[in-house]
Amino acid sequence: MNRNRRIVQFISILGFIFLYVPIISLIIFSFNNSKLVSVWSGFSTKWYFALLQNEQIIEAAKLSVFIAAFSATISLILGTLAAIALSRYRSFRGKSLLSGMVSAPLIMPDVITGLSLLLLFVTLRSLIGWPAQMGAVTIIIAHISFGMAFVAIIVQSRLLHFDKSLEEAAKDLGAKPLRVFFDITLPIISPALISGWLLAFTLSFDDLVIASFVTGPGASTLPIVIFSKIRLGITPEINALATIIIVLVAIFATLAMLQMKKIPE
Amino acid sequence: MRNFIRQRERAISLKLGKKLVIYIPLFWLLLFFLVPFLIVTKISLSQITYGRPPYLPMFEWSKDNLLTIKLYFGNFFLLFSDSLYINAYLNSLKIAALSTFFTLLIGYPMAYFIARADEKIRNILLLLVILPFWSSFLLRVYAWIGLLKNNGIINNILLNMGIIDSPIKMLNTDFALYIGIVYSYLPFMILPLYANLVRLDEKLLEAARDLGAKPLALFFTIILPLSMPGIIAGSMLVFIPAIGEYIIPSLLGGSDSLMIGRILWDEFSANRDWPVASALAVAMLTIIILPLILFKNAQKKEVAIDE
Amino acid sequence: MQTKIIANKYYDNNQSDNNHSLAADTKPWNDKNAKPFVRIKNISKVFGNVAALDNVSLDIYKSELFCLLGKSGSGKSTLLRILAGFEKSSTGIIEIDGQNMENIEPYERPINMMFQSYALFPHMNVEQNIAYGLKRSGMKKAEISQNVEQLLSLIKMEGYNRRKPHQLSGGQRQRVALARALARKPKLLLLDEPLGALDKKLRQETQFELINIQETLGITFIVVTHDQEEAMSLATRIGVMEEGTIAQVGEPREIYEYPATRFVADFVGSINMFEGKVIKNEAADLRINSPELDVNIHVANNIACALGQTLWFAIRPEKITLQKEKPKKRSNFAKGIVEEIIYLGDVSNYRILLNSKKRINVTRPNISRDEKEKISWDEEIYAVWHENSGVVLAS
Repeated sequence: MNRNRRIVQFISILGFIFLYVPIISLIIFSFNNSKLVSVWSGFSTKWYFALLQNEQIIEAAKLSVFIAAFSATISLILGTLAAIALSRYRSFRGKSLLSGMVSAPLIMPDVITGLSLLLLFVTLRSLIGWPAQMGAVTIIIAHISFGMAFVAIIVQSRLLHFDKSLEEAAKDLGAKPLRVFFDITLPIISPALISGWLLAFTLSFDDLVIASFVTGPGASTLPIVIFSKIRLGITPEINALATIIIVLVAIFATLAMLQMKKIPE
Repeated sequence: MRNFIRQRERAISLKLGKKLVIYIPLFWLLLFFLVPFLIVTKISLSQITYGRPPYLPMFEWSKDNLLTIKLYFGNFFLLFSDSLYINAYLNSLKIAALSTFFTLLIGYPMAYFIARADEKIRNILLLLVILPFWSSFLLRVYAWIGLLKNNGIINNILLNMGIIDSPIKMLNTDFALYIGIVYSYLPFMILPLYANLVRLDEKLLEAARDLGAKPLALFFTIILPLSMPGIIAGSMLVFIPAIGEYIIPSLLGGSDSLMIGRILWDEFSANRDWPVASALAVAMLTIIILPLILFKNAQKKEVAIDE
Repeated sequence: MQTKIIANKYYDNNQSDNNHSLAADTKPWNDKNAKPFVRIKNISKVFGNVAALDNVSLDIYKSELFCLLGKSGSGKSTLLRILAGFEKSSTGIIEIDGQNMENIEPYERPINMMFQSYALFPHMNVEQNIAYGLKRSGMKKAEISQNVEQLLSLIKMEGYNRRKPHQLSGGQRQRVALARALARKPKLLLLDEPLGALDKKLRQETQFELINIQETLGITFIVVTHDQEEAMSLATRIGVMEEGTIAQVGEPREIYEYPATRFVADFVGSINMFEGKVIKNEAADLRINSPELDVNIHVANNIACALGQTLWFAIRPEKITLQKEKPKKRSNFAKGIVEEIIYLGDVSNYRILLNSKKRINVTRPNISRDEKEKISWDEEIYAVWHENSGVVLAS
């Protein structure tokens, strides 16, 4: 037994090293003095300054944050509605259709989603003249379509574990349906809402493939810019950018984790 | 009477509210998820042309006011006749299957280790798994370029230690491709497995041990069967997106490692052959549907266990 | 006693007409002119094609502590949920204090419920939980906090205002749930398995507290339980439910001593049952011949039945005596062998195997510490009962 446990432990430690070696190497070489990202030649923060002066990247980052925040918010609303419909209403027309469409985007390859949405937009344009141009709007619509699916799955699983007598108790104590929702349901599912929003934000902020399909002139998101730079070769500026993103994510994730602990089951 | 009217008003507003809750998301997904697939299917049956849009219409009113429907199966014939596409398909399947296997091999012990760890450490370990998943996918793939290329970190270290004389070519090989996929999708394997294993009742293991099960028997007769839904869910979460993967093969894979996702993209953007790209998408979907159903069932089972 | 005073104070301040309790000797259900407080008329509830409730009618009087007793799936919880307004009945009417409850939403009913899971809001502290219902009725802040303090002292939990539900013990949660349900001064309080989640010792203490609070506040309680002991010790009356119908309604003693059906006899307490045919039915002389017994059963009262009809004679284990010598009378005994003796301290249970291979149970109090007339295993013995000790059941 002990030997088996050691093997499991050994593989796990190797696994964690595997997960973190690339990330740590990214961070280390973001402080490298030389332009090479594989040979150390002294500490420097110059790539961070270079990054901050790179207008193309800064603009792309702003656009990506805007698109991600906007689409995550709409995803949150639509996904929560879908979750309520699926977990609270016993049966309605299109329930199995809705439940299928909610879980499909979870594993749909990006190339298919991207291609199909682009073809939809092209068809729509030839039919009704909208959208006149591909750009931020079409990217936002595309991101909502998969973001809401993730929100719906998370919120749905929280609602399924929800003790319904809590809502009944509030009703029993004189609260009307809308009041019950805001007093009881919403606070209790709020951790799920927060993680759903964060997930939708991250997926949107991270998306390259779908955005590449449905983007248009002047709407280059951060991943599109990074990808075009990487194809030209690696540069420490990208390492600096990666470091900033990783540090931000780590801070947010830790805060979220601590916050979760405060909220009892 | 007043009571009755109030009652009716309330019933109507409740019904309206319920309808909005159901039909807003349903409508959105119909328009932006299901309809696009129908369009893809339609275009996959159209003929390519030079113009905008670059395909011929399927429905046409002929001179004598007859609606003619032109179905063009040439795109699908092309997929089966040109070995480029068939090879890409088989290659994608192979790479996705093998990567899923490797991911399971590393992910299962990790998930088990986390699930059985002390509660305080468990949350930290879980955070360590989730953290890379939240940070940029693209940048994590990018990190491997720096590690794997000829004058990259790994080769430099090996050269300095005198283990090798000349750099090993790792970047742009199948090896790099596998590393990239396993690395990127590892959290997707660990998380559902962990969610399953953490619920595994310790008393079942004690009971099995009490009845004489040795460690290996314990694993194969109790732990493995009970964690099957988690294994299936995790495997599908790796296998399906890996089939259509575009970023990893184009950054880490060699020019000869053909995967459908990449070919679809090339057909679409470089060749501007929308009908063939659509046919590729339709064909890709058909191999995904079976695993998709498996995944759904595994999810249902998980929910059933939860309740 | 302390509880009583505080409770009276709480209710005096706010509600003057409701602070008299049900005197022990008034039994409105025996008074034909008494007006029922809760009227349940012909209630049915169908889920899919299963009838959870089948034409249930029941009258409950003011200040009663009424227990709905039944197994899970008997429909008792469904009835409670219909009273609270969470489920709509398929047919039938519910009236509370003369008011028809149809089309009245749960949040408008003068009823409150204590949930089986307590349903304390996990994100609110004790004070916020108790105050929730008061806030909904638009009470002023100062008044709310005054009410909360009084309720906290009623449940003996002063100073727990800021605790969150997960920081409380099971018994404390139960009390907070009770206080929360009482806060709105409902006309009717519904309690769904109120003691189910507590351990045995705590359950007994809480039982008395519950009765105490109910008696002093004078609110009508309807308690759902599957535990017959709990029903016996709490209730003014019990309604035994079976498969969506009310099998019998009566005071605890009535239910136990005069069960109306075999189901009730068997469900409440333990009982020995003999199946037989009527061979004589005259004034104060009913005779039943049972193939399970060597001699006839003789009962000193009559029921409406025909000669030759199949009846059941039911008798409680403690109403049978055991003796070694053959009784002189020609009926109401059985000969058998002691098969098993279970010593329980205050009493011992004997299992007797009769000649007919039927087994009966007999309970004897252990009067002396070392019994002179000791009965032992495998001994031949006579089980004897009095002609007034059992009941005859037609169904």
